[in-house]
Amino acid sequence: MKILIIEDETLLAKSIIEYLKGESFLCEWASDFLTAKDKITSYEYDCILLDITLPGGNGLELLKQIKLQNKIDGVIIISARNSLDDKIAGLQLGADDYLPKPFHLAELGARLHAVVRRRKFEGKDTIEFQEIKIDTTAKTILVNNRPVSLTKSEFDLLLFLVANKNRVISKSSLAEHLSGDDADYFDNFDFIYAHIKNVKKKLAKAGCNDYIKTVYGLGYKLAI
Amino acid sequence: MRLLNISLRSFLWYSLILVVVSIPLSFIAFRMLLNEEVNESLRFHKKEFLKHIKKFEYLDDLETDLEVLDEFTFELSINRTNNASQSEFIQTVLYFDSVEREQRPYRELVSPITIKGKDYVLVIRESLVESNDLAFAIGIVQSLVILFLVLGLVFINRRLSGKLWTPFYSTLNKLKQFQLDKSQSFEPEKTAISEFNDLNKAILNLTERSKVMYQQQKEFTENASHEMQTPLAVLHSKIDVLMQSPELTEAQALIIQDIATTSQRMSRLNRNLLLLSKLDNDQFKEMEVVDLASIINIVSANLEPFANAQGVIIEKEVMPNNITGNKTLIEILIINLLSNAIRYSLPNGEVMISFTKNKLVINNMGLPLAVSREKLFDRFSKDNSHPQSVGLGLAIVKRICDACNYNVVYDFKNDQHQFSITF
Repeated sequence: MKILIIEDETLLAKSIIEYLKGESFLCEWASDFLTAKDKITSYEYDCILLDITLPGGNGLELLKQIKLQNKIDGVIIISARNSLDDKIAGLQLGADDYLPKPFHLAELGARLHAVVRRRKFEGKDTIEFQEIKIDTTAKTILVNNRPVSLTKSEFDLLLFLVANKNRVISKSSLAEHLSGDDADYFDNFDFIYAHIKNVKKKLAKAGCNDYIKTVYGLGYKLAI
Repeated sequence: MRLLNISLRSFLWYSLILVVVSIPLSFIAFRMLLNEEVNESLRFHKKEFLKHIKKFEYLDDLETDLEVLDEFTFELSINRTNNASQSEFIQTVLYFDSVEREQRPYRELVSPITIKGKDYVLVIRESLVESNDLAFAIGIVQSLVILFLVLGLVFINRRLSGKLWTPFYSTLNKLKQFQLDKSQSFEPEKTAISEFNDLNKAILNLTERSKVMYQQQKEFTENASHEMQTPLAVLHSKIDVLMQSPELTEAQALIIQDIATTSQRMSRLNRNLLLLSKLDNDQFKEMEVVDLASIINIVSANLEPFANAQGVIIEKEVMPNNITGNKTLIEILIINLLSNAIRYSLPNGEVMISFTKNKLVINNMGLPLAVSREKLFDRFSKDNSHPQSVGLGLAIVKRICDACNYNVVYDFKNDQHQFSITF
């Protein structure tokens, strides 16, 4: 999957590229308005990560260009200006998602997957990891083609882990993913442990191998 | 006391003193003027008399004629004298007027003359205006002057204060209503009086400058918070990348965890500051009908995992009722209050939310306040036993309530913390 990262903050862009590489993602990077405009016009991308404040112009202008050229690229706005107006404007212009800075890379990974999935398979799709098959539309899980019943939080958690497979996911990014901004109000993420335990138990019961590893001091990781 | 009345009072005092002083002064001046006039006329009469007498010096019985003249005229008397060395003088004398039955003042010229070698004393007199009459007339005139002066001053003062000061009072009223944090600007009324125009210009200048500075200060906080987001995003992303290193030792992992927690706290702090500055900047203007019960249900469901992790149970008693307000702010308000109640609840305790009509009450079992009650809603006032708290939650609650005119009350009774909000 080809991703274009339009971000003027070098350090952040490098982190994103570092995090996404190795997966099936192929990342390109544009650090200013004109480079970004050239790249958008010349190539096709599966998803574009778009910063709004850019040297040489406004990211929302680029978004208009993308839509004018009838490109099918998915767009996720990543903005430091966490304002409702920017979000509404971006989504109205046809952005697929809006992620305010600062964000967890795992959250970005999950959103990226979701956007690409929606675009490619027109919203009807399954994502697979070994014997686990997740239908993101019907919100069902099949292990060895047998359904496993998970709560909404457990489903979201598993999907998040699968979207960020082979990566260490911190408890705080899991908590933030599951409870949104409300996670802001607590430092205690013990409830994640309970969710993980339940998911593991339910998967094991369905005959699934234990792929969810606890990484001491840091969080969890889904890996073979 | 009004400004114009103060000046009026001074004017009145001054004119009163002037009139009081001017009565004797004009009396003396008139008297002197009259005396001088009469003196001249007396001297003139004497000269005329001597001129006429000279013509009759040929008469032999002039002496007898002079005696007759002395007898028959009142204004003139002429008598023989032996003391010829006496010099001429003028004096004021009173004579009794038998018709008016009162003393009347006369001015008389007493002068020694020589007719046909014989010495005489010639006295010529003229009636004077009575001092009383003069003083009375002057008094009347001056009193009339002062009466009309006072009446005129008071009348003009009334008219002026009504008309002249209108622009001033209008400016004053506008200044009283002027609020720095509101967008309406100071618009002075046009006036023909240059002082008031200057005043208005100065005030306009001042208010505009204050507004610009206030705006800049507000924008600075917001911009600073916004600018912080990017470095924080870099920090977050670097930590996320660092976590992926396969060779991390447990000790390193713990350090990374600590850095991650700290940077989380920093972004939380920053987000709260941003929210406060947005509140100060009035960026939550949209009003809508909000289903408070459903917000409470969603928020409490979201916070339940955190509560359960502490063994805290959330109890609800919510009546469906819609209120009008800003949905985002109401959500933030409830999240802040509820998460606060959960955080400061005793382990295995209970948090109770009730909403009836337009009153929201949140109770939780807890230890008495570690900060003073007055400082409870202050920014950065926090309980040191909860170091992860940034101390802005209740400040945000208070600020939202202030901005939306909600009433928030805190109480602590029977080990229960209670926050109640009336919408």
